[in-house]
Amino acid sequence: MDKLETMWDVCLRKNIKRRSFLKSCAALTSIMGLNMDMLSKVVAAAEKNPLPVVIWLHGHECTGCDESFLRSATPLTSDLVLNSIALEYSHALSAAAGEPFEEHLHQTMQQYAGKYILAVEGAVATAENGIYCMTGGKPFVSVLKEVAKNAAVIIEYGACATSGGIQAAKPNPTGSVSVREIVGNSKPIVKVPGCPPIPEVMTGVVMHYALFGKLPPLDNEGRPKQFYGNRIHDTCYRRPFFDTGMFAENFDDAGSKAGWCLYKLGCRGPVTYNSCGNLRWWNGLSYPIQSGHGCIGCSNDHFWDEDPFYKRLPEYGPILGDVDKIGAAAVGLTTAGVALHGAMSVVQKKKRQAAEEKSDGKKVE
Amino acid sequence: MKRVVVDPITRIEGHLRVEVKVDEATGKVEDALSSGTAWRGLELIMNDRDPRDGWAYIQRICGVCTTAHALGCLRAVEDALGITIPKNANYIRNIMAGVQSVQDHVIHFYHLHALDWVSPVEALKADPVATAAMQNTVLSAYKVNVTGPESLDTEAYPKEFPKATPEYYQKIQKKVKDIVESGQLGIFAAQWWDHPDFQILPPEVHLLGIAHYLEMLDKQREIVTSHVVFGGKNPHPHYIVGGMPCSISMDDMNAPVNTERLAIVDRSINTTINLMNDFYVPDVLAIGKMYVDKGYVDGGGMAKERVLGFGDYPDEPYTGTTNGDFHKNLLYRCNGIVEDFGKGLDAAKFYDFKAEDLSDPEVLNEGVEHSWYEYPGAEGKDLHPWDGVTKAKYTGPKEGTKTDWKTLDEDGKYSWLKTPKWRGKMAEVGPLSRYIIIYTKIKKGLITDPTWVEKMIMDQIEAVSKVLNLAPEVWMPTMVGRTATRALEAQVHAYVAKYYFNKLIKNIKAGDTKVADTTKWDPKTWPKECKGVGLYEAPRGALSHWVVIKDGKIANYQAIVPTTWNACPRDNKGDHGAYEKAMMDTKVKIPDKPLEILKVVRSFDPCMACSTH
Amino acid sequence: MIMHEEPRKVYYLFSPFLRIFHWTMVICISFLFTTGLLITKPASGGVSMEPTFGNILLSLDLIRNIHFIAAFIFVAAFILRIYGFVINKGDRLFPRVWKAEFWQSMIEVSMHYMLLKPSHRPYLRNPLARMSYVGLYSMVFIEIFTGFAMYLMVNPNGFGAKFFGWTIGIFGSEFMIHLIHHYIAWAIMLFVIGHVYMAIRADFMEREGEISSMFSGVKILEHEPVDVGEIMDKESSDTFSDRKPLHAGQQETKM
Ligand code: HEM
Ligand code: HEM
Ligand code: NFV
Ligand code: SF4
Ligand code: SF4
Ligand code: F3S
Ligand SMILES: [Mg+2]
Repeated sequence: MDKLETMWDVCLRKNIKRRSFLKSCAALTSIMGLNMDMLSKVVAAAEKNPLPVVIWLHGHECTGCDESFLRSATPLTSDLVLNSIALEYSHALSAAAGEPFEEHLHQTMQQYAGKYILAVEGAVATAENGIYCMTGGKPFVSVLKEVAKNAAVIIEYGACATSGGIQAAKPNPTGSVSVREIVGNSKPIVKVPGCPPIPEVMTGVVMHYALFGKLPPLDNEGRPKQFYGNRIHDTCYRRPFFDTGMFAENFDDAGSKAGWCLYKLGCRGPVTYNSCGNLRWWNGLSYPIQSGHGCIGCSNDHFWDEDPFYKRLPEYGPILGDVDKIGAAAVGLTTAGVALHGAMSVVQKKKRQAAEEKSDGKKVE
Repeated sequence: MKRVVVDPITRIEGHLRVEVKVDEATGKVEDALSSGTAWRGLELIMNDRDPRDGWAYIQRICGVCTTAHALGCLRAVEDALGITIPKNANYIRNIMAGVQSVQDHVIHFYHLHALDWVSPVEALKADPVATAAMQNTVLSAYKVNVTGPESLDTEAYPKEFPKATPEYYQKIQKKVKDIVESGQLGIFAAQWWDHPDFQILPPEVHLLGIAHYLEMLDKQREIVTSHVVFGGKNPHPHYIVGGMPCSISMDDMNAPVNTERLAIVDRSINTTINLMNDFYVPDVLAIGKMYVDKGYVDGGGMAKERVLGFGDYPDEPYTGTTNGDFHKNLLYRCNGIVEDFGKGLDAAKFYDFKAEDLSDPEVLNEGVEHSWYEYPGAEGKDLHPWDGVTKAKYTGPKEGTKTDWKTLDEDGKYSWLKTPKWRGKMAEVGPLSRYIIIYTKIKKGLITDPTWVEKMIMDQIEAVSKVLNLAPEVWMPTMVGRTATRALEAQVHAYVAKYYFNKLIKNIKAGDTKVADTTKWDPKTWPKECKGVGLYEAPRGALSHWVVIKDGKIANYQAIVPTTWNACPRDNKGDHGAYEKAMMDTKVKIPDKPLEILKVVRSFDPCMACSTH
Repeated sequence: MIMHEEPRKVYYLFSPFLRIFHWTMVICISFLFTTGLLITKPASGGVSMEPTFGNILLSLDLIRNIHFIAAFIFVAAFILRIYGFVINKGDRLFPRVWKAEFWQSMIEVSMHYMLLKPSHRPYLRNPLARMSYVGLYSMVFIEIFTGFAMYLMVNPNGFGAKFFGWTIGIFGSEFMIHLIHHYIAWAIMLFVIGHVYMAIRADFMEREGEISSMFSGVKILEHEPVDVGEIMDKESSDTFSDRKPLHAGQQETKM
């Protein structure tokens, strides 16, 4: 038993160098009670046919994105995580913790340098050198930079990673920014926005990589076209009601019950790109609009500062009211001003004419 | 004496670091420090927002207990504005809260906690035939048979039942072997699998545990299906102040809620009940029993000294929290504080928690003595949340630099959590606390007319005490007890969901389809200035949200969160919080591999995003 | 009242292309503004049973289509404006901001409009107005770019979206685009009020055929306008005596 434990130790924690790696494979094979000619298989599998390695980092986040990832039914998260990828580092799921866990991260980074997928959930706190988000005793921002260096691709999962998310909302006390703002465009970055993104979209991106060996086609913002290719408004099943002009005016009114368009209750569907309208959540089960609440635009950059959410165009200021009221008031004022100006101009002209007449009269005399 | 640091702690939510001083000779933890190492400033982000939007922002405190903060905020805002939500909205929110707790607990036990108890390495040694046999034993010996309230019995037979065939366990074992052979251990990499604690359970339990880890990974989503039906998504379903957005209509073709939608919810709740009865509760009890039998009854800590709860599940709509109405008709009356439960029921003291306590600045407040915050002008004081201040003041570690820590400073500031207090004292919150409170209240005759929930809880405690052959005062305030009561509570929450589903159906049947009260939707109907509080028994314990509204905008927002209660840094007298106490109540076999420390900390189901926010 | 029966000169300024464009623009903007406001705050169809039987007049489908048709006509008509600019000096209204002289006249005219000066020197094309047209055109361009960005993002992979999509990029989000589009719409209305007032006022005060100029293309001035050089041939602009209105002046009208 003792022997087994130490071998596990060796294998799991120290297998960076090829020789020790082979040794640990051998150890593993024998100790697991496997046939010794399995050894070549283990080595071959580990060396030649590795599953795509995923390192999943957590910055400033709420773990809603992890949770969403876990809710995926197609692919089923268990199938994805245990069959299609090797999730070597994840604060949410990994068994290990502390030092050995950090060591494993570094081993993985070396062993799969230039090959691993870096998935990032959460924003990067930058204020005061990043001390608002510390992990392993270091600022997350420095960990991110280090792990990003040798990543093959980076996946930004969720609004936090794609645009700073909730913590970046005004006044952004921690100076949180997106992952892209830190790692630049040196690597291919896949942007998977949403707060959180739809489960099947999250796993779908990885699944695509596992199935086709490359990233899904991206739009000019870096989002997978197959999931963010259309506005919700252009895919929403309530669109016919919008087109016809049939709106819910208040929550729970006749229009709400009849499932009419939520435009007047602030729906952000017209400006939001996401799969909510077509894939919907949980394999077509529903999405906020289907459940009677307008979209709050959770896949848009900086949507948290595009509030209040129940106004289609936000109130301009607390005292003045909405834009149209301000506009109408401005038009009123301008018209009044113009009228006044007109009247004064007439007076001025009269005076001028009177003066001219006088001087003309003098001339005539 | 050795100072051991574990950072990052995984299989939790967020960024947690612990440091313990272990006596290498005895394994005793002499001192412990728990630090939340990230802070996002969400309370500050709430300022100046429309109170009707608040739930969406503050919900993002946490995606694990995803609905907790939305409900806390809605309740606070509705309390401030004097809004009573319609019956249907109350039932729907309670269904959502119920299944949220179940799902959160399930994810915690199987996916965040299990790998402290069971190991894939041990599972490889198991005999699949014996494992299948053991599954049947577990089902018969460790099932806690409870009957819920009188309910709509819509399920013909239990659809989710643990598999107990050798082939099934063979296949699972093979999968584990394949992973090991591949050389890519994925999530199983780098754990201290050689730790002696993994020898406590027989290999078959390990295989069973791993199998159910996988089963529940696939199933947990179905528990919260109702969130997607009623709130459009999960995590982070949508709500509205005044009720729910999901209108009900049986007359319209496109209504968010109709018979078919309700059937989806019903199916999901039935599944949930089965998963509790046939997986979660028996699994936890089987494992817990073996631990307890081997003498592992440590890790209680604060649970033995002081536990706190606010109470939950308003059976019917209420008019407010500060006015006392919330507490008048609860299904789960765990409002109160129990001190010294560890000394036995007789020695235990009970203090009621009433609505008046909410507005009393002396009862609930938060200090920042050891937190990376300051209270300008009120140094050294504890502030009541309505007057609460969130102002960061980072001081760095004891050893190391501000951006490269060696050890944190237990004498100075060392965490992004504040220290919440009840009458100047810290307390533990959570399922265990709630169970201790209910148990004490009923045993001491403070509840004479238990609700069906409270009765069920008593039945469970009794059944488990029989299985473990220990008195509740002994097994409950322990690490195992914390994990076990969570499972028991999940079972209760599953029935709670069913109970409110029945109420919902009955009410719709009676012709009431209202889900939102929008009479106070318009800010013009609001007072110029008002404040409110929202209480909620979140999966991890008592949650309170505090809002001050001025001129239609949020003027101050404070949340005191379960994990803040539990994981807080010590107070100005140097007393420890629940995490620190629990660690100090746990023996460590190998200081360099402090698996016990991780296990006891994880028994709280840490949520750091929640705690620091 | 003694009037000096001085001969007034007719100056040909605006090509028919500009004039047609101007009035097309007026009509289009009226439609764009009204339909735009209705897009933000639609009137409700309300009582209809289902979309098929909805009230077509309140339908956003119709209102948006009117908005888009007006937008297309507007943009198409702009070609006329460009053509006018190319063939006719009088159409070249861009203020000569690089000339000190222009700023002097700006100050002079502004003083008059601030009622600090009883009159200003005669201009063919008022420098203040010309500045305001720059403002108006900038706003119109923002409307066009933001408008087409929104319009064409129905298919973000399409060519059109690539062509206009950058607008969204610079303003941060599509939500901002809607906002800006909406704010600018109101700003244009403010211009219109000022502009129409100025036109009427000029007509009334100076009696130089201001309003009719946008129909006939000519202005009739009593005195030699300060900026007459701008519409003269370059070669002949050296001596005052040589200055002749470009096309007009064949007949001199008495009022
Ligand atoms: C939507 C409303 C209108 C807009 C946007 C608008 C815009 C413009 C612009 C941009 C010009 C400069 C010519 C060019 O560069 O194309 C102009 C000239 C002119 N507009 Fe308008 N206009 C509007 C309505 C009117 C109306 C209603 C009148 C008549 C009362 C009018 C009378 C004139 C006149 C007389 C000129 C020539 C003024 C000068 O020489 O400076 N406009 N207008
Ligand atoms: C002076 C010119 C224009 C004015 C005053 C104007 C005004 C408006 C206003 C007030 C809105 C409502 C904004 C909102 O609530 O989202 C709007 C929407 C819109 N406009 Fe314009 N607009 C103008 C030109 C254009 C042009 C040239 C286009 C090009 C196609 C355009 C396309 C749109 C589109 C696509 C929308 C959004 C419709 C929707 O959300 O359903 N607009 N416009
Ligand atoms: N602590 C905490 Fe929560 C819970 N349960 C909050 O209220 O987890 Ni994120
Ligand atoms: S994007 Fe939203 S759900 Fe995801 S981590 Fe950030 S706050 Fe949580
Ligand atoms: S509900 Fe929202 S997305 Fe759907 S049609 Fe209406 S405005 Fe568009
Ligand atoms: S709020 Fe988010 S989940 Fe979809 S409908 Fe809107 S993008
Ligand atoms: Mg707080």
